[in-house]
Amino acid sequence: MAEKHKPAPMVDEVSEFEVLEIAVRELAIEKGLFSAEDHQRWTEYMHTLGPLPAARLVAKAWLDPEFKKLAVEDGVKASLEVGIDWVNSMPTHFGTPSDYCNLRVLEDTPKLKHVVVCTLCSCYPRPILGQSPEWYRTPNYRRRLVRWPRQVLAEFGLQLPDDVEVRVEDSNQKSRFIVLPVRPEGTEGWSEDQLAEIVTRDCLIGVAVPKPGKTANDPRPVRPAVNPYHH
Amino acid sequence: MAEINPKYHELDNEMRERKLDESTPVSLLEDVKHKGRVWDDLCEEYGVDNPDPPWRITLEATCDMLAGGYWETFNVCKPKEERNPEEEEKKLDAVERRWEEDKLVEKYYEQVPFPERQLLALAHTMIRRGLFDEEELARRMEEVDQRLNSA
Repeated sequence: MAEKHKPAPMVDEVSEFEVLEIAVRELAIEKGLFSAEDHQRWTEYMHTLGPLPAARLVAKAWLDPEFKKLAVEDGVKASLEVGIDWVNSMPTHFGTPSDYCNLRVLEDTPKLKHVVVCTLCSCYPRPILGQSPEWYRTPNYRRRLVRWPRQVLAEFGLQLPDDVEVRVEDSNQKSRFIVLPVRPEGTEGWSEDQLAEIVTRDCLIGVAVPKPGKTANDPRPVRPAVNPYHH
Repeated sequence: MAEINPKYHELDNEMRERKLDESTPVSLLEDVKHKGRVWDDLCEEYGVDNPDPPWRITLEATCDMLAGGYWETFNVCKPKEERNPEEEEKKLDAVERRWEEDKLVEKYYEQVPFPERQLLALAHTMIRRGLFDEEELARRMEEVDQRLNSA
């Protein structure tokens, strides 16, 4: 029987999009819009980013009430304990303009659910959470979440009881947010590593809640929009 | 109920006054849009499961570099009128770029997946703003294509 895929570990083809990306970058450098060295340094730094430090921050907060207090009071300081220095570890050695200013950790309770958006553009706490997912950038999410948060969360598969308040936090140039969800039942006695595994990127944005055994994000959205965004 | 950041409406008005909501299709980019093979299709064909093309991070870095703030960190956090005016014409403000991306995607690139649509919108914005022109970009793409495919 013929195999569905060619047994290749990588894409052995240069697409027009790859060519376009290189051409745009090279022309920008040639025109003096930025230097090749700066671009390379920043790219290398960006390759180091991902959601694991934020997941670890949450796991530590679940295990250590003092650390949780610190995280909620001073997210930038708490980030140091998971290896993220919002100011000094950047290639600039003085932070980044759109990410460094302020990280706030939003603590959920059984009666309060936070969810993060950026209605202006797509601000995201990249140093501690990596690159934003596609849906986070879309007008559909950004416009609708502030108007119909429960519906939008339901489209992500998160049905909340009526007695749970939903609080939408709008990111901006000076503040970034991550959600500290409620520690789920069934995780008693778990280690920090075990707990960090179930704190997915979507839990940290607030469109999902952690569950034992669930260690990956769902494809999004899982249900069609009730009130779709109209241009 | 939370509301959309009021700055979005201010931005909307400012960009419309500057006529940055008006655009025409860029034939070079239309060609790429129609003929280019997107990452999802390449992954399917080659059995690769990386969700992002290898150029996604370099594209993000290009966008960050164009904002001009990472190496002059406080520039981007400052209101525009307080930034270094000589450098401003070389910059592509991140918030403006994202606003234009929203509009261009809506008008021309909605059927293109991400991050290919981000790339097309960025190139479109740069051409529209005169940071380079379509012919220059076409020539450079030919050069890059020959370089990568002659190895």
